[in-house]
Amino acid sequence: MVSLKRVYDRTTQSIKGNPVLFLPFAIFAALEFISLITIYLAPRMPLKLLLGPPIRALWGEKFLHYPVNFILIPKLASLARMGLTVILGSFLTGVATLLVYNLHKKTKIDLKKVFNLALKKYVSLFAIVLLFTLLFYLLDKVTSKLLIKYFVSGHTRLLFLGPKIWLGPILICLNFILAVIVQSAFIYAIPILLIEGETLTKAILKSFALFKKLFVKTIILVGLPMLIYIPIIVLQSDSAFLITRLFPEAVLLTAILSLIINSLIIDFLITLTTTHLYLMHRDE
Amino acid sequence: MNNLIFTFKKLIFIIGIFTCTSLTLSGCANDEYAIEARYWKVKKQAEKILSNPHTTPPNELERTVINLNKFSDKFPKSNLGIDADFSIANLYIVKENYDSGRAQLRKIIQKYEKSKDLAAQALFLIGNSYELQDNWPGALEQYKKITRDYTETIRGLEIPIYIAQHYKTKYEPDKMITAFQEAISHYKAIAAKHPVTPLAFNMDMLVAQCYSEIKDWPSAIDTLNSMLAAYKGKVGFEEILLSLSSIYSQKLNNPAKTIEILEVLLKEYPKSKYTNSAKEMIKRLSAHGNQNHIP
Repeated sequence: MVSLKRVYDRTTQSIKGNPVLFLPFAIFAALEFISLITIYLAPRMPLKLLLGPPIRALWGEKFLHYPVNFILIPKLASLARMGLTVILGSFLTGVATLLVYNLHKKTKIDLKKVFNLALKKYVSLFAIVLLFTLLFYLLDKVTSKLLIKYFVSGHTRLLFLGPKIWLGPILICLNFILAVIVQSAFIYAIPILLIEGETLTKAILKSFALFKKLFVKTIILVGLPMLIYIPIIVLQSDSAFLITRLFPEAVLLTAILSLIINSLIIDFLITLTTTHLYLMHRDE
Repeated sequence: MNNLIFTFKKLIFIIGIFTCTSLTLSGCANDEYAIEARYWKVKKQAEKILSNPHTTPPNELERTVINLNKFSDKFPKSNLGIDADFSIANLYIVKENYDSGRAQLRKIIQKYEKSKDLAAQALFLIGNSYELQDNWPGALEQYKKITRDYTETIRGLEIPIYIAQHYKTKYEPDKMITAFQEAISHYKAIAAKHPVTPLAFNMDMLVAQCYSEIKDWPSAIDTLNSMLAAYKGKVGFEEILLSLSSIYSQKLNNPAKTIEILEVLLKEYPKSKYTNSAKEMIKRLSAHGNQNHIP
């Protein structure tokens, strides 16, 4: 039986001697940072020429002016992250998984070979991440829409609590739980796809089965690092507060902090620990 | 390992170059956004004083006024530069430094002499400052100046009703009626100068509003009816028909005439946003009428 302590010990050991494990996450963080700076500079010339029209058409002219543009930054950054995750994150997670696999097998790491292997499976990796991202996005939207519909239709209470609590902290918690469950369900699909060489459908189905089998451990490995993100969710839920009480640029700083925590800590820890759990479970 | 360090360094170098270039390019640009960002900081200082004028130390006011002045001098053509000038006047007025406030507003009139709307607004604020000092004659003098010199500005059009409303809130009915009558003559004169134009239409609506305020219902109805004839086919009549129906139902207690007007509204504007409420009202008035006929 693989214990969580063993998984964390193995992860710590692998990180200590192999900074190469950071590479895929550092590349992703770098690209996310560039996208964030682009979003921040969208209302300014020369980027305004390119990004101004879509922002104006989708959200309105006011979001191209200081300081209202900062209200849109978390939303745009989240959309950019979603796009980057599907297009590049899928590939880079594949690279990270193969790096962990090589370390586990104690074989010499050949970065070029690892990148090529991940590239060969890019379509399947892309499909897995797209599916998981869309599923989470839809569940997130459905939950908030149902709650809003419930309260707009005239109800004042749901399980003794009012709309402010439901649409505020409870919705944040619900979305957090959904994120943990959806990510946990798909978490083994990439290792199974790359290490076992399974087909896309089989990899996803086997991932669901393994998630069911290792339910508590997987939930802990995925959910625990994600807890660090809760303060950021709270901060980003009210950008107007940051703008008026602190200063508009505080929203950008929060977005940068969110990027660092998400890409360099949470994604890193989740990918490494769950791949180690998968490999250790497989060995047993 | 060396390769890896090289890759990391390259990555950091690329990000650094991108960030520095973007921020430098945008930082050097003096575009609209940059002006807004500068103004936001100065305005924030002013808002602190406006929200708590009595506890603000004098040097804080001075510093804010200097910053606002610097901003308006640097960007005189920007709307925010104009806003900065008005903010200075507002700051003086909330700090009860009325003379400086009025001096600033007179400066604005001179500075933006080509813009009648800005001059009218500045004069209006001078009038307000007299009102704050309980000096109605002083305020009235400014308001009369607006009606005389800036007749067709937004403020100029609003001011006759503003004066009448002042007497209404002060419970001076005679002065109120006189002021409304003056407003009616004023609006009629403007409408006559620009016959059958959107401005004349708005003036006629204001005339009807003034008649309603002094409860001269026949004149209000005559005005609205003459509008129906004068602007036929040029503008939508929904608002006029609704005003007429509300006078007949609420003021003259004439349900038959109200229903007749609402039926015209439904016939002429079947897709109007008021259709449902008009139908409801007809239903209610008809039911009420039938009830009254039960022996």
